[in-house]
Parts: sequence; C-alpha cells; structure tokens
Amino acid sequence: MIAETGIPVAGQETIAPPRALRLLRPVQLAGPFLIALLVGAVVLFASGRDAIGTYWLLAQQSLGGTSQIANTLVAATPVLLTGLATAVAFRSGIFNVGVEGSLYVGAFAAAWGWRVDEVVTTLMLNYVAILLTSWLVNYYFLAPDIANSMSPLIAKQARLSSLLPPSQLTIAFVAALLVTLLYAYFFDRTRLGYELRMVGLNPRFARAVGIDLAGAVLIAFVISGILGGVAGGFQILGVNYRFIDHFSPGYGFTGIAVALLGRGHPVGIVLAALFFGALSSGGAMIQLFSDIPLDLINILQGTVMIFAVIELSRLPFVKRWLRHA
Amino acid sequence: MPDAILSVLAAAAPSTTSILLASMGGLINRQGGIVNIGLEPMMLVGAFAAVIVSAQTGNPFLGLLAAIASGALLGLLFSWSITRLGANEIVAGLGLNLLVLGFFGYLLPTVFRIEGTLLPPGLVGLPKLQIPLIDQIPGLGPIVSGHDVVTYLSWLSVPLVSLFLYRTPLGIQLRATGANEEAARAAGVPTLRLRDFSTVLAGAFAGLAGAQLSLGVVTLFNKTMTGGRGFIALAAFYFGDARPGLTALGAVIFGVFEAAGFRLGSSGIPSQLVQMLPYLVVVISLTLVAVRRERRLRERGRAAAASMRTAVVR
Repeated sequence: MIAETGIPVAGQETIAPPRALRLLRPVQLAGPFLIALLVGAVVLFASGRDAIGTYWLLAQQSLGGTSQIANTLVAATPVLLTGLATAVAFRSGIFNVGVEGSLYVGAFAAAWGWRVDEVVTTLMLNYVAILLTSWLVNYYFLAPDIANSMSPLIAKQARLSSLLPPSQLTIAFVAALLVTLLYAYFFDRTRLGYELRMVGLNPRFARAVGIDLAGAVLIAFVISGILGGVAGGFQILGVNYRFIDHFSPGYGFTGIAVALLGRGHPVGIVLAALFFGALSSGGAMIQLFSDIPLDLINILQGTVMIFAVIELSRLPFVKRWLRHA
Repeated sequence: MPDAILSVLAAAAPSTTSILLASMGGLINRQGGIVNIGLEPMMLVGAFAAVIVSAQTGNPFLGLLAAIASGALLGLLFSWSITRLGANEIVAGLGLNLLVLGFFGYLLPTVFRIEGTLLPPGLVGLPKLQIPLIDQIPGLGPIVSGHDVVTYLSWLSVPLVSLFLYRTPLGIQLRATGANEEAARAAGVPTLRLRDFSTVLAGAFAGLAGAQLSLGVVTLFNKTMTGGRGFIALAAFYFGDARPGLTALGAVIFGVFEAAGFRLGSSGIPSQLVQMLPYLVVVISLTLVAVRRERRLRERGRAAAASMRTAVVR
C-alpha cells in the first residue's frame, strides 16, 4: 500500500542537488504555471481569441477590486482544504485520490492494512460517494417543488454569515487558513506528524524503528478524509446552503493540483489555492462577459497537473540549457 | 420476465463493447507496468476523431481508423511523459482527463459554435450486421446478431490479446517488463520502448472504444458521451487482475449493469445504486484479494519459522 509516490514534496530531498539543478529549482516551481498559461494562450490564439486580453480580463475579474478578491477567496477556500487533505496523505506516502469523494460523504476510511491498491480503491470510492449521495438526495432529502436534485435550504441560523456582504466570504476562509497553520505545526512540531513524514519518506526504515505502518496509514487517511469532509461542509454552510447533487466541480481533483504545485509546503499550498481560486472566480466572470467558456480553466488546470509531475530537467532542450549553465 | 432479461442482454452487448475494448487496452498497459487512468480522455479523442473523419469522408470505417490513430498518438504522448520524463502516472492521467475534457468543452462552443451535441452534416454511423441464420433464433438472435462491426471486433480482441500476451515473444517481453523492469532490462529487453508500445496499444483500443460510442451506439459527439466508461474499464481490469478472460467477464458484468440500470429506473430500484455496483465490486474484490494474499504470506512465514525450529532442534 505504501509505495514510492514519486511526488516531489518540500523538505523531503535526501541528497543535496548539484549546482545546475539548483538553478533549475525556480523553473521547476514556476514552470507548470508558465507552461499552462502558454498552452492556454496557444488555445485562445488558435481559436481566434485575444490571449493577452483574456488573461488581463481574468486578472481584473479575480483581483481587480474588493468584491472580486472576496470571490477569489471564496473559491480558494474549498481547494485550500482539499489541497491540504491531499498533502497530508502525500507526505505520509499515500496516494489519496479520493478527496473528491470524501467531500461528499464527509469522511471515510478506505480499506487499510491489507495493502490494497489505494489509488484505485479511492478513485472508485469517489464514484460510490457521489452516487450514494445522489441517491440519498433524490430519494430521501429532495426539496419539494424543485425540479433539480437538491435538498431543502438549511436554516438561516445554520448558515455561515458573510464577513463582507454581499460577497459569500465567510469564516470558512479564515478557518481554512487556520487549518493550514495546524498542518504546518503538525508535520514540523509534533511527534505523530514526524512519524507520518518518516513513513512517507521511507516506509521500511519507519517500520524498522518501530512505527506502526498500518496505524500511520489509517491516521493519514482519516485526517485527509476529515479535511475533505470539512471542505464539503463549508461549501454547504457558507455558499450553497443546501446539498446539490453532483455539486463539486472537481474540488478534490483541484486539491491534488494544489498539493502538487505547493510541493506540500504550507505557503506553497496557500499560494496555489489562491491561484486556482482566482482562475475559477475570474473564469466564471469572463464566461459572463465574453464568449470564452469556463472550460479554459480545466485546460490550464490539467496542464499544470501534468507538468507539475514531469521532471522538466529531463526535457531535451532544458538538458541542453543546463549543460551551458 | 425472461423477455425482460433477454432484452437487457441484447442491450448489454453494445453497451459492453466500449468497456470491453478499453479494458483490454488498459490490461495490456497494466501488464506492461503502467496503470492507465487516461483511458477516458483517449476514448473521448477517438470518439471525436471518428465523427469528424466519418463526416468529412462519408466513410465510418475511415472514422474508426482515425479514432485508432488519434488514441494511439495520445497514448504515445502520455507514455513519454511517464517513461521519459518521470511523471507520476496517476497525476499525469488525472491531468490528462481534465485537459482533454476542458479542451472539448472549449472547442465545441468557440470553434464549432454549438452547445452540447456535435452533429456535422454528412456524418455516417456504423452499419448493423445481421448474421444469417443466427438472427432467426428466438432469444439468442438479438443478443448475438445485429450489432456494429466494432462489437464483434471487441469479442475477437479477448482471445487475440490473450494470445499476444502469453504466446508471442513480444507479449512475453512486455509482461516481463511489467513484472520486473530492472531484471527485464538486464536481460536485454528494451523496456522503455515496450512500455511506450503498451500505452500506444491502450490508446488505440480506447480510441476504437470511443468510436464505437460515437458511430455505433449513437451517431454524434458530445463531451460527456464517454460517461465514465474509461473508469469502468479500469474497474474491469482490476477486477480481472489484468488477465484477459476474467477482465472480459468483468466488462460483460458491468455492461449488463449499465444496460439494466436504464431499465430499473422505472421499476423503483434507484439507478444510482445500480451504477454504483461496478465500483463497489472492484473495491470489495481488491480487498478480498489483498486479505487472502496477506493471510498466505503470514502462513508461509509461520511455516518457515516452524521448519527453522525443527532444523535447529536437529
């Protein structure tokens, strides 16, 4: 179950990199963003749209004013939490791609301790969770007089109040930042966090020094699942005010991109979550103001994910550049 | 009631095809050492290429070829990112899913100026083949006869994939690569190229699977038409432990679930629960397999300890 995930995570390099690779570090960190923006620009240009103008509009609509910034923070909240959920698992050496699903059921523990392939089981459980909640809402919690599959609105008292009306910026964002601090404290300062990190770095060594691997995996899964569940809960209490069938536009998967881009580092995770928050809030607005579909954001996000795991130093032209440097 | 079962089975044949083909591709890839969760986008690309080429040429069979070629090309690019550039196969696969879905979501409204369904003029679907004599048999006829050519190809692919993997030198080298890459390389097997080759095959199978959806089941393209079948295919070859026969059985079971799901909606059984079955079956079967393996390991350990004790006593 615990295997080399091959996910680059901050503070887990065992060997000091040679000078040429150190030069590459900033490129490796900023590279996926830049390549994604480039790919997006090519797609925009090829379909006869103004790439620079679109990006400018995207920036304005996500950062250009108080309400725009508030919307970006609202959009960053769920992906910050799912990013942390994924990072907790990654740093413990587990590949949890089931955060999308835990968003739906709150929390779940996958089959553990028997070395079941966690990637496939968590991936499959995503579908189970989405379908299970779809069944529940359609058969038992359906709001009367509404054609779409939603539960009734939750009580006014139960809703999170806005910090900055009329935006939907609530205490949820602050809470997500606090969770980030907890995450940093947990991995850097607590014994359990240290043990989980060791399990992620080198499971054989961890077992040799007496760490209970099955227990560590279970703990990492539970923390990860809880964070995913909190992300879903906040979305209901602070934004949607009801359960909506298939409500998540892939927050769990964006969380994987957030964890990867942030390299598991708390500051990196916050920055990556803000980036994706800005993309989705700005993207929703440009879909209103222009004929550019929100799907552009998925193109950017997919490219970021692919290039976040590609070792740029192995690209032929980068290799040549490194040799000169 | 038997009529209902027969009609479900007749409907299950075409709905099994794409799952079966994609799962055959996925299992070749798995045997070569790569878990391919990019089958879904490869199917989507195949479905799109098939529709475009069939509409341009008026020939659905050229559409199939285009689907195979485009799926294979995407497979090659995906494989390079993993084998040559060190990408994690799961993250790259999830990224590919988002990228391709986003690409078609962007392409259809901006370039083709349509929301939803692409139905280019001149689009020709695959003909349905009636098998003489067999189509006269009551009950069995509609199950075996009257499907598109890709459905029959998918049935044929199961023994062919099995022959390829277990009876040809290339297939055996491929399995050696997947089982232990370092040992295979030491034995002179070109492991990187073989892993790429297995992903290219997976892409080709997935592309053909997509074409069966867009030219066989229906005759149109939209970005949600694969509907998670690439992941059901993943479930099928995990259920079948990447062996052709068992995987095909899994694909057929999941195809029947899908065909039954449509009908059960009206009979009061929630369709969500039926749709959930493939995923649950996989999680449960993977867990059972792992539990059994763990128990065997423990017993072997106990036996080894016992034999060591007797050795020491002697």
